[in-house]
Amino acid sequence: MERVVLNVTRSGGKRVGYEVKYRKGMTVLDALTEVREKQDSTLGYRHSCRMGICGSCGMTINGLPRLACQTQLSSLNAEAISVEPLHNMKVVRDLVVDILPFFDLHRSVRPYLMRTDLNERDNSGREYRVLTEEVEKFLQFDYCIMCGLCYAACPTVALDPFYTGPQAIAQAYRYMADPRDEGWEKRVNLLDTSHGVWRCHAAGACSSVCPKDVDPAKAIQLARMEVLKKRILRKRAREGSKLVSPPVAGVTKEGAKPPPFDFGGAEK
Amino acid sequence: MKRDQRFKAGLISSLNPAGYSVERWSYTVHRITGVIMVGYLMAHIFETFQLGGGSTAWANTMAALHSLGPMEMVGLWIVAGSALYHGGNGIRLVLNEAFGKFMGKPILPVYPYSPTSLGRNQKVAVWSITAVVLALWVWAGLYLLAGLGVI
Repeated sequence: MERVVLNVTRSGGKRVGYEVKYRKGMTVLDALTEVREKQDSTLGYRHSCRMGICGSCGMTINGLPRLACQTQLSSLNAEAISVEPLHNMKVVRDLVVDILPFFDLHRSVRPYLMRTDLNERDNSGREYRVLTEEVEKFLQFDYCIMCGLCYAACPTVALDPFYTGPQAIAQAYRYMADPRDEGWEKRVNLLDTSHGVWRCHAAGACSSVCPKDVDPAKAIQLARMEVLKKRILRKRAREGSKLVSPPVAGVTKEGAKPPPFDFGGAEK
Repeated sequence: MKRDQRFKAGLISSLNPAGYSVERWSYTVHRITGVIMVGYLMAHIFETFQLGGGSTAWANTMAALHSLGPMEMVGLWIVAGSALYHGGNGIRLVLNEAFGKFMGKPILPVYPYSPTSLGRNQKVAVWSITAVVLALWVWAGLYLLAGLGVI
């Protein structure tokens, strides 16, 4: 493979072909950058970190939502590659989509630790207890970079624009599974709607395109089980974990003895 | 988001499972078989409604159906396949959605990534259902051919 043709869907749906000289290790983002620098400076696309961390360069490459910076041209095994904007989102320009409605859905599930005592949370100067085995229940879902690929791949989003979406439900579950959180019941009520967890039809497209293995399909099913716990088992909101004493400065230096881990510090 | 703001390509691509995992194909087949069954239900209600017109109306309806010849049996065979797949896959989905079966537990992702919800257990479930449904569908086809007197 010496040259690659990028068939880019530009604003208005017009397809434009750009020929790029292939070099080993070249990604779709590299190819687009080369096009913009040498062939067409009007080509619009979004990117930032170039290493799969920021989640900005999501686009539909050869029919599947992918991060352009993480997609090597060699992995596509084709001399003609189609590049389109992400589906299920409004196009701003060329490959740039309006991601604000997607962020609004993320915000709608309150993706932060909710506590009843805000003064304690903000001013205690201490941390809430969370054990390693408890972290393992939600850490996978914490790796979401909000790239929107799952949202673009979801066939349910395409048919129901009011659906909460795989990313937002996964984030809701991430906080529902966190023992420090006290917003379990509020999030269950947010998800227990006809446009919430019950709208998912388990197509698994979200998990198959996720670049960080967040596995939103799994999170949605786990969130459903939380909703069922409330509906069938009449589970009610739980109390969040207690405050613990902070580590003392300097104790981690070699030779120094670490202080005992005080789980009951808050009650004393 | 308003409905008119939706990107049309998303609607089109929602019908196309190419490039995705077998679960996405299963979703598409589940939808198509569901539509076929709704169509059959409507036709069946219309058919039985003719009973209200008396024995002559019923005989005329049956005669109209039989005039289709082998196409009647082919139609019934497609309906049988749809019901088998929709039912079988529906059981898998209930196990998925209500009991979390075949989904796996939250893990620490390690590259190269392989989501557990689309892992081995899920694949075994999908392919097992497909195999059983295909076997029963073939049997249903033979049964219908026997009804036609072909075998």
